[in-house]
Formats: sequence, structure tokens, C-alpha cells
Amino acid sequence: MIKVFIVIPAYNEQQTLSAVIEGIMASVEYELVIVDDGSDPPLANIIHQPGCHIIRHAINLGQGAALQTGICYSLQKGADIIVSFDADGQHDPLDIKPLVSAVLEGKADVVMGSRFAGEAPQMPFMRKILIHFARIFHFLLTGLWMSDAHNGIRALSRKAASKIQLKENRMAHATELILEIKRHSLKWMELPVTVHYSAYSRKKGQSSANSIRILFDVVLHKLFR
Amino acid sequence: MTGIQILLITGVLMITLYFFQRMKKAVFSVVLVTLMGALAILLILQPELTNQIAHKIGVGRGADLVFYICVLIFWYVVMRLYARIRKLEEHITELIRNQAIANAKVEPTDSFETNQAR
Repeated sequence: MIKVFIVIPAYNEQQTLSAVIEGIMASVEYELVIVDDGSDPPLANIIHQPGCHIIRHAINLGQGAALQTGICYSLQKGADIIVSFDADGQHDPLDIKPLVSAVLEGKADVVMGSRFAGEAPQMPFMRKILIHFARIFHFLLTGLWMSDAHNGIRALSRKAASKIQLKENRMAHATELILEIKRHSLKWMELPVTVHYSAYSRKKGQSSANSIRILFDVVLHKLFR
Repeated sequence: MTGIQILLITGVLMITLYFFQRMKKAVFSVVLVTLMGALAILLILQPELTNQIAHKIGVGRGADLVFYICVLIFWYVVMRLYARIRKLEEHITELIRNQAIANAKVEPTDSFETNQAR
């Protein structure tokens, strides 16, 4: 029996988390790991999904750290495949299965969701341009050409998950993940996924100005390895 | 001795003494700070010296040379501190992560009911 764990890093996602959990439970029957990244009030109060694993960081560390905690935990629990999923409701639970199957069939160790291969209704114009720049930047940094590196939905094989060590606590972890894929010569591929840009996910998500900070973190990551 | 010289020398002496008190065991650092303090006092008393050095390496005024060197040292210190902060952050993350995983909880399954609901 293949064990699939879905890791959802969440920080103050009280508004959307329940709907996200229900959506996932309605479409797949995998283990669900919620990493509460020091939310106030704690998210445990609003999670009532039976069998759901809840891990709580005592203080807020950032999405990268929460994801890594979820990965460590899932590996300890014997996960064969680990899926990361955002808590703000921008992903479609129906996209999980194809990613998992791709890993299962051994097509790749890391399967990343890409909103450019798929549909992204109402993507803000600025976001499109930014992501394009990020793509060029990643290519220069890693030599890997990905259509969409900063997408929260991905599936990792157990092998990939045990090798990848995310040390960037904040948003630069998405870039770090690519560097790790390259460092361990993991097989990767992209599959189209749908991303829903709601007013909420736009507000909660990364502001475009924040990309400067991410860039800064990435450069410093390279310097202080 | 002019007012500014007294002010600067007092500052240098106080910092050096403070360092002495706090870092008695770090011999290398204490020696380094003492040497730097001595050099600082010498240059404060003989400002002409900095001018001479500055002219030799193509800087107009001694004060400018001191300023440029300060900028370099400042950058170096910032980088060192930043590296230290990152290291600390890494340790904290590890501690929080281990504690979080140790305290992980699973929502109780009411397997009969959920199976039926599905």
C-alpha cells in the first residue's frame, strides 16, 4: 500500500483552511499533515478532520520551514510520496492525483505543478511578468528551465524528500528547492495545474514588492552556503 | 590637546576597557582590540600621520582615508553579523521543528462514522 502524505503549511489561514481540507478529502484519500506555522489563534481549534495530523511551530518561522517540518514528519511516518499544497485555496485538489501518479510511475522524483502549462484564470498582469523574470533568474542560477518555479503544489518521491534539505525558512525555499534538485541530480518534470487567484489569495500571497526580498534571500543563500 | 582629541581618546579608552572586562578569556581578540586602540590614539594625537599615509596612496585627506576604511570594516562586520544571525536562525528552526514533531497530534478517527460518510 503506497502511503501518500499531503503537507499543508499554514499561517493564519483560518478563513480558507477548512475549505481546503474538505476539498482535498472530497477528492483523494491520503494522509493530511497540517503544519501550523505559529498561527494566532492556533489552527488546531478549527481542524476537525478525523485522522488529520497537526504539527505546530511554537513561533512563526516561515513557509519554507513549515514545509520542511511537514516533510520530516511525513518521512518519519513512512510516507512514500509527499505532496505540498498551499493553504490559501489557490490550488485545485483534483490536480493532486496526476502529480502523484507521475511519481508512482517513476517518471520523475519531483513533479511540480505549473500554472503556465495549465490554466490560471485572472492572473494579475504584474504577476505574469514577475514570474517570467523569476524563470530567467532561475535558469541563470541553476541551468534548469522551468515554466513555473514558484508554485506551491508539487509531489516528491520518498527518495527526493529525504535528500532535499530546505534551509531557507521564508519564501526563498522555492528557489532553494530547485537548487537541491540540481545538487542531487533528481529527475523532475512539470505538469499543468490550475491556480485560482481569489481576492483572498492575492491579499495573503506574495506582494510583488516582496519578490525583491526573495531575490535578496536567494543571493545571500548562495553567498552563505 | 583639543576638545575633539579628548573626546575621541576617552571614547577609545572606554571601549577598550569595556572589552577587557568582558573578554578576558579571548586573548587574541583582546590583543587585537588593544592594538587597534593604541593605533587609534596615536592617529588622534598625530592627525598629520593619516594625511601623509593618505597622500601616499592617492587619497586627498587623512579623514577621507579613515572614512573609507570605516566603510569597509562596517561592511565586513555587517556580513559577519548576518552570517551569525542565519546560523542562529538555523538552530532555532531545528529546535522548533523537533519540538513540533515530538508534539504532533492526530485528530481522533471515528473510523466507523467516516467510512459511512464516504
